[in-house]
Amino acid sequence: MAEEQICSEITGTVWKIEMGIGDKVEEDDVIMILESMKMEIPVLAPCAGTLQKLLVEEGSAIAEGQMIAIVDT
Amino acid sequence: MSRHDELTQDLEARRARVKEMGGKEKIAARKAAGHMDARERIDHLFDPESFAETGMFATSHRPEMREKSPADGKVCGYGRIDGRPAAIVSCDITTLGASSSLTNVRKMGHLRRTAIRNGMPMIFLNETSGARIPDTMGAQGTGALGQDPEQFIRGREIPYVSACLGPSYGTGTWFTMLSDFVVMRKGACLAVSSPRVTSLAIGEEVQLEELGGWKLHTERTGLVDYAVDSDEEALDLIKRFLSYLPSHAEQLPPAAEPPDETEIDGASITDIVPAERQKVYDVRKLIAAIADPESVFELKPRFGRVATTSLARMGGQVVGFVATNPMFKGGALDPDGCDKITSFLVLCDSFHIPVIMLTDTPGFLIGVEGERRKAPGKIMNFMSALQMCSVPKFSIVTRKSYGQAYLNMGGSRNSDEMAAWTTADVGFMDPNIGVNVVYGVTAESDPQKFEELKAEISRETSAYDLAAIYSAQSVLDPRKTRQWLMSMLSVHSRDREGGFSRRALASWPTTF
Repeated sequence: MAEEQICSEITGTVWKIEMGIGDKVEEDDVIMILESMKMEIPVLAPCAGTLQKLLVEEGSAIAEGQMIAIVDT
Repeated sequence: MSRHDELTQDLEARRARVKEMGGKEKIAARKAAGHMDARERIDHLFDPESFAETGMFATSHRPEMREKSPADGKVCGYGRIDGRPAAIVSCDITTLGASSSLTNVRKMGHLRRTAIRNGMPMIFLNETSGARIPDTMGAQGTGALGQDPEQFIRGREIPYVSACLGPSYGTGTWFTMLSDFVVMRKGACLAVSSPRVTSLAIGEEVQLEELGGWKLHTERTGLVDYAVDSDEEALDLIKRFLSYLPSHAEQLPPAAEPPDETEIDGASITDIVPAERQKVYDVRKLIAAIADPESVFELKPRFGRVATTSLARMGGQVVGFVATNPMFKGGALDPDGCDKITSFLVLCDSFHIPVIMLTDTPGFLIGVEGERRKAPGKIMNFMSALQMCSVPKFSIVTRKSYGQAYLNMGGSRNSDEMAAWTTADVGFMDPNIGVNVVYGVTAESDPQKFEELKAEISRETSAYDLAAIYSAQSVLDPRKTRQWLMSMLSVHSRDREGGFSRRALASWPTTF
């Protein structure tokens, strides 16, 4: 089993978390939604697997490149 | 048996020996591991019975290696794909690692010159260990290289396509870098040198995937368009790519049967694209709703995803879609997105493919990281390419379009015809940012004042404001986008030039 780290592509805040730890994900499933540039921008699963860790919570400010979740593949 | 018959029998025996390549055992082992051999790949790609080999009896120039080097490790020749001609180099890794040698480089040079002179795509099926050792060692070995001063000139007289189906180093990598389309098999490695050579050179362990694996090249470098699981998938993608391109630059792209327009309904467009600017959507669904059904072929789908670049058809005619994708980074254009669009414009201009730009972007993604990655240079490469690109260009502002990004996406006179959807919002910068920049007020510091100033700064940003000064020539109901584009493709036919572009971008490098 390998770990796939998910990093934010953009600076913003976490608006809504759509999945919980342990949830099964398919590639391109929406894990959370960020708010940036007055838009709601989804964070997509890069591959199928299980959501192992969520490193942010709703309302967290995040920077570009910051690790925000980990998926086990 | 006559002397002629004896000689013919000898010829057939020699042919059979060459077709065994590196030997039955090696071929069988590879087959068991799920790899096609060099000749099976050609058979899969080319129309039946169409392959004509050149250099079948070429071997290593070293006398002691002649018997061990059938076809000198690179199977070369001509054939047809869906009835159209093509030239191919298919590496036989079972023969001396398909390493590049004096003889097989000569074969490839002849093939390339023939393909360019007669107008047929060049296909490179790479699986090669790089330069042949010890042939290239020493001053005489190295000095014997480089005998073709035009080997790496790329004028896009014909399309080049490459597949990396195993290790790809040296010449295999160089021609891949010159290609218009690249597909890679997962597990293959595309790099300057092998992980072993690299590890020895830098004194630390380097892993294959890290050095030149599919994820690196499809997501970070963008040097590869697609990663696939099998040889068959790679070869089928090559066929698909070539189906959109002319055989050479003096031909127009091949037209297909137009679809039945009565069966294409644009009504779904307003379901795909929300009117509210804060809601994002995947622009690839919009392109699929506008283009001929099942005709969209996206290039570099995992790289620079703030932009989407796709070949497609409109009424059977090949077109290229360039779109910002709000699904990723809100559609804010970053350096990778700029590179991706620029390389696509080079392809379209070189092979006479009209460009359709769909814009929904808050602008260029600004920040320290972007500046470090040469964002200003990338933006101007993109802008220069757009202005030099002489195929018909159409630009549609679907929602927001701000500042220089408006111009890069074909705004005003940077396209032949421009339209704005009724939802368009055009200005120098996002009004939410503009209130802060101009007045120093934020939504948090003074919400009421912020809304008042935002309303003021948002005036005259509509599609009709753009149309009033004739920078947009039309205002569109989003659901009528296809009809408008079909009409404009017909108007901007470049009929006086026979539909051909001036190809000013044809010799641009695209790996930057």
